[in-house]
Amino acid sequence: MQLLVNTLIAGSFAAIMATGLALVYGVLRVFNLALGQFALVGGYVTWWLVQPLGLPLPVGILGGIVCGALVSWLSFEIAVRPFYKRHPLLPLVSTIALSQILDGLIQLIFKEQTRSILIRAKEMVHLGSAVISMEQIKLIIFTVVLLSATAWILHSTSIGRRIRATVAHSQAAESLGISSALLHRLVFIISGTLAAIAGIYVGIDQNLTPVLGFTITIKAYAALIAGGKGNIWGAVIASYFIAAIEQLAVGIKWFGYYLPAGYQGSVALMLIIVLLLIKPTGLFGRTSRFA
Amino acid sequence: MGPMPLLSVKNLSLTIESQKILHGIDLDVEPGEVVGLIGPNGSGKTTFFNVISGFLKPTSGSVFFREENISTMPPSLRARIGIGRVFQNFGIFRDMTLFDNVLVAFESLPKEQRTALGDLKKKVNETLKLVDLDHCAKKKASSLSGGQMRLLELARTFAARKELLLLDEPTAGVSPKMTSQISDLIRLLKKEGRTILIIEHDLPFIRRICDRVIVLDLGEKVLEGKPEEIHSHAKLKEIYFGADPVT
Repeated sequence: MQLLVNTLIAGSFAAIMATGLALVYGVLRVFNLALGQFALVGGYVTWWLVQPLGLPLPVGILGGIVCGALVSWLSFEIAVRPFYKRHPLLPLVSTIALSQILDGLIQLIFKEQTRSILIRAKEMVHLGSAVISMEQIKLIIFTVVLLSATAWILHSTSIGRRIRATVAHSQAAESLGISSALLHRLVFIISGTLAAIAGIYVGIDQNLTPVLGFTITIKAYAALIAGGKGNIWGAVIASYFIAAIEQLAVGIKWFGYYLPAGYQGSVALMLIIVLLLIKPTGLFGRTSRFA
Repeated sequence: MGPMPLLSVKNLSLTIESQKILHGIDLDVEPGEVVGLIGPNGSGKTTFFNVISGFLKPTSGSVFFREENISTMPPSLRARIGIGRVFQNFGIFRDMTLFDNVLVAFESLPKEQRTALGDLKKKVNETLKLVDLDHCAKKKASSLSGGQMRLLELARTFAARKELLLLDEPTAGVSPKMTSQISDLIRLLKKEGRTILIIEHDLPFIRRICDRVIVLDLGEKVLEGKPEEIHSHAKLKEIYFGADPVT
């Protein structure tokens, strides 16, 4: 039961990140290697507003989300837009550079200390044999609401249909009058905003450290690849699947021994390598992309 | 002096990595005219369409639409001023329903055109009915046959009131029955006064539908005339079958 609870907590965080990543890959066909740093911006700004400044949590969360959106917009203009139409691999390099710059700035501004948005004692709830905090329950419910809202936007609104049309056939979408320039910018900002929300999630549930960015990015990419690149719902399901594997790897005895917790992330990534060898298009991948 | 051309291409050339893909093409298309564009594979037909619809920028020369120079205009803006395109590789959104495939086309129109259409959902149903696909409106487009996909794309472009339609091999990979349905739809477009530029390999189809035919070879315009003149021209045989050069 505790493994299931832990899977829901870790999977929900990864699902938020992977949704944004899959959107960007599906629409722009570029890899953004600074996504983990966008998450840290959201988390740290919220921490700064709530802890040193003493503002209420909702204000802090709003501030973190707005800053995450602003940083992702600036990043698009500086590190993606000048390059991605020249060659789809160029943003891979430019966002690696950007991630290093953001890492440096985060360390400079927020220092190399662990930070937690909520420092008060958490109220714990018993669910059968499992224990979960009230904050974690709220975060899981919030993720379900957020992903449902994303599904509703993509499938039931005009902008969602335009995004899905661009994912399916970008030239045909443009030939109908859908402006790729505007849509690409919008999708990139949505992705950065989702990452900032995921960073706030980490800051509330656990601790933020300035070196977390790369680990977060890699986990999101694992979900993206396992789910079938550009397939949003595949990436969401893969996020929970990877979280379950990670929990199983260190949560149960293997041949009479527990695997050290430090191997948790590596086991999931090894599984991705095996999966790619067996099914390179990912668990839910097709030859054509879909949203 | 004839009517003002809807589309006018002046001395258009495109060079990619020092390779000449299109060279000095001039073309005027009058409103309501159906012009066929033929030529062997690699002659530059689809590239020519890509330049007109804005996916490629010409190295030199200009494209005018209703006398406005659109050479540097992005593809989405060209679509909004009235240039529609049907793609060789099926420009439909396979994982969206047939209904959403048409609805998104209406939603992407400029506001005044969208408002003029009235109830968009009713209009979508009418469009699907036109090509006998209304019974599967809620199915995903990926469930359609190749011919049905083509009909859906044509009907969508048709309903979005584009003034100039660029049709890239609309009958490729389609059954004879569907070819006849597509042919009927294009005739309907012609009757409505739409201007059509059509790439095809099916010469009898071109002969039945077009007012004028342009032949491209190695990126150059080599022939132009009425379909029956072009059909019997020795140069056409030379281009397609490598016959003895005409003297």
